[in-house]
Amino acid sequence: MTTETTPGASQAERLSRARAALAGVQARIGVDAHAGERPVLPLDQHLASLLPEGLRRGQVVAVTGATSLMLALAAQASREGSWTAAIGMPTVGVVAAARRGIDLSRLALIPHPGAQAAEAAGACVDGMDVVLLGERLALSEADRRRLASRARERGGVIIAAGEWTGAHVRLDVERSVWSGLGAGDGRLRERELTVAVSGRRQGGSRRVRVLLDVDPGLRWSRPGARVDVDEEVA
Amino acid sequence: MSEIAPARSAHGQGPVATTRRAVLWVPDWPVVAAMTEAHVRADAPAAVLHGRGLVAVSAAARAAGVRRGMRRRLAQRACPDIAILAHDEGRDARTFEAVAAAAEDVVSGVEVSRPGLLMIPADGAARFHGSEEALAEALVTAVAELAGCESSVGMADGLLAAVLAARSSALVPPGESAAFLADAPVDVLPLAAMERRQREQVEDLVSVLTRLGLHTLADYTALPAGDVLARFGPVGRWAHRVSRGEDVRPPVLRRSEEDVAVGYAFEEPAERVEQLALVAAHVAGLLDAALLEAGVRCGRVRIAATTERGDTLERVWRTDVGSRAGAFARHMTDRVRWQLEGWLSGTAAGPERAPLTSLELTAEDVVPLGSEQAYLWGGVSGADSRAQRTLERVQSLLGADAVLAVREQGGRSPRDRVLTLPWGQESTPSRRIEHPWPGQIPDPAPATVLPVPEPMEVLDAGGAPVVIDRRLRMSAPPTWVRLQADPQDERAAAARRHPSSGGVGRRDDGPAWGLPQPVEAWAGPWPAVERWWSEDASRRASLQVALRRPDGSPGHALLASFTGGRWVLEAIYD
Repeated sequence: MTTETTPGASQAERLSRARAALAGVQARIGVDAHAGERPVLPLDQHLASLLPEGLRRGQVVAVTGATSLMLALAAQASREGSWTAAIGMPTVGVVAAARRGIDLSRLALIPHPGAQAAEAAGACVDGMDVVLLGERLALSEADRRRLASRARERGGVIIAAGEWTGAHVRLDVERSVWSGLGAGDGRLRERELTVAVSGRRQGGSRRVRVLLDVDPGLRWSRPGARVDVDEEVA
Repeated sequence: MSEIAPARSAHGQGPVATTRRAVLWVPDWPVVAAMTEAHVRADAPAAVLHGRGLVAVSAAARAAGVRRGMRRRLAQRACPDIAILAHDEGRDARTFEAVAAAAEDVVSGVEVSRPGLLMIPADGAARFHGSEEALAEALVTAVAELAGCESSVGMADGLLAAVLAARSSALVPPGESAAFLADAPVDVLPLAAMERRQREQVEDLVSVLTRLGLHTLADYTALPAGDVLARFGPVGRWAHRVSRGEDVRPPVLRRSEEDVAVGYAFEEPAERVEQLALVAAHVAGLLDAALLEAGVRCGRVRIAATTERGDTLERVWRTDVGSRAGAFARHMTDRVRWQLEGWLSGTAAGPERAPLTSLELTAEDVVPLGSEQAYLWGGVSGADSRAQRTLERVQSLLGADAVLAVREQGGRSPRDRVLTLPWGQESTPSRRIEHPWPGQIPDPAPATVLPVPEPMEVLDAGGAPVVIDRRLRMSAPPTWVRLQADPQDERAAAARRHPSSGGVGRRDDGPAWGLPQPVEAWAGPWPAVERWWSEDASRRASLQVALRRPDGSPGHALLASFTGGRWVLEAIYD
């Protein structure tokens, strides 16, 4: 196939021509560029800045530094009918999960899978929509690769605490600032997380600030405090 | 609610044909049920306490001057040897099944309006027994003989008239219900309300009517229906129709199905798991066959194993495998095996280990095939049954207790507020969420809750431990916090081994401490003194502490408790 180049053509014209060429190739090969894209699980409104593409099925999301962020990621999907399993997280706060919106009737905990972590996680990835994996699971690199490909095949989402080589999205919580406490007075009310988002698809990482546990009472006393800043970091 | 709402809806607009009803009333049912269960003699004074007041009083106690609504102390003053029993709606409903079954011996269909009150359509049954008197006599006799409690029967047209008739054992002739009701005070209206919520609404209405000077039902029914609706809303309209002797809905009859039970008695007491597993498979097969033969399926299965010492090990499992043909026996075999294995190996709580003498499986919530109701989870959508199967698979891989279902319950510390159960097992939370729980740590809840609190150190500016005295006075504001080092942290372990830590020659049992971390802000203490009367008593004061990170930025927050003279880490807000 030859592509004629006309240097005088405007940008819009060239773009439309390129799109037509791409469509031609797709028609010939029978593959859509978006065919590999899986449907998206619902995600909370205020986390949209973290994952602009949404929580895509078949993905692995690695989260370091905050359990509550893992729960928050799973919450909206659970509220809308997904099943969630938490494997190897004996310390997960169930009340916090419920407050974030996880439906406890569709949540199963497998706190100590022991040496059979890979089998248990594999079974859960097969049958559950969202699988939360704790940090100290007896999973080898090969097990992790196998789990990731199984998730891709079955359309589950793995949200793993700690490092995960080859994760689609990596969320590193760099700072979490609690407000509401004083010197012996007040109570924990609101928290701002600074999360470094990096992923396989994007070169660098960007920092996003997310408010969890938004306390409207506190908002009123500090008007205009909510500023979300996205800054590009190399 | 449920009875008021239909009166508003389209199909409830038209008048419902008023049916002739018989009502069977067991006086003071909650206390009768409680006494039966607690094995208190029927003529002993007893009362059921709920919250702060008595909800039901036995006849002997009433004769001694105890009344409904009294406080415990007043009741005990009036009648010192009164037995105060706990309130349990589940027990009331469960025990009443025996009465309903006894009544069904006489008539073919009954409606349990509320525990203590049965409603029976009287027309056909009275014809069958010859007369209404004969029917009433047969009912009272059957209940006294089969269920062992006193009851009274009344008959009238319409709901309220029948309920009132039962209280005076009257047979109101057909067509005279309105006249029978006319002289009754408006206070009787709540008797026709079958639900607690609805009853509260009706009680409010009655107090308004009394203050308006409408003292009898005749006064109230004299008002035009339209004005009643405009002034009192749907409750008022419901009460208006009921007090004219009309029905608001036809009785809903039920046909009860008996629980199906199968048992197996060991010839020789069995102790080995393999032996039990074989028997479990056999018994589960028997139950499956029995259910199939009766053409029913069940919602729950109760597994009870009796030991040589006479103890019973009993658990209830939810089941919805009826939709999966052939799976039931295997499913139940697993449950039996898990239950017995956990107990025999000593990991699960239960009575003392002893060889088993019998095993019994009881199918509860029995419904005819094809009339199952959809359960809260499972069996409905594809994803639900897939997840259910997955969890069962993991359970067979790791053991029943390795997969947990969680529920929220009431409590003060974050750890107490969670009820965990093996997946598929049923139990009710012992602590209610609705109760106030003063001293509870306010929301947001921590995302990491340590199952066992870990020792930590909270230090003041000089490095001395902070102490909270009995009057909640803190010795100094907390300035530093030291957590236990991660056991996998090589640096902390090396620092601990180093002679400069003063650890030379010390036995290797103390925790390895991490570096002290400065406190950014803190709040508390929240005191909680719990269950001082029991074994697991606890007395503690909790602090929320936000840490400052080494680079000066604020870090995570912790929940620390001071209990028994030392600090423990309860939870991390991470």
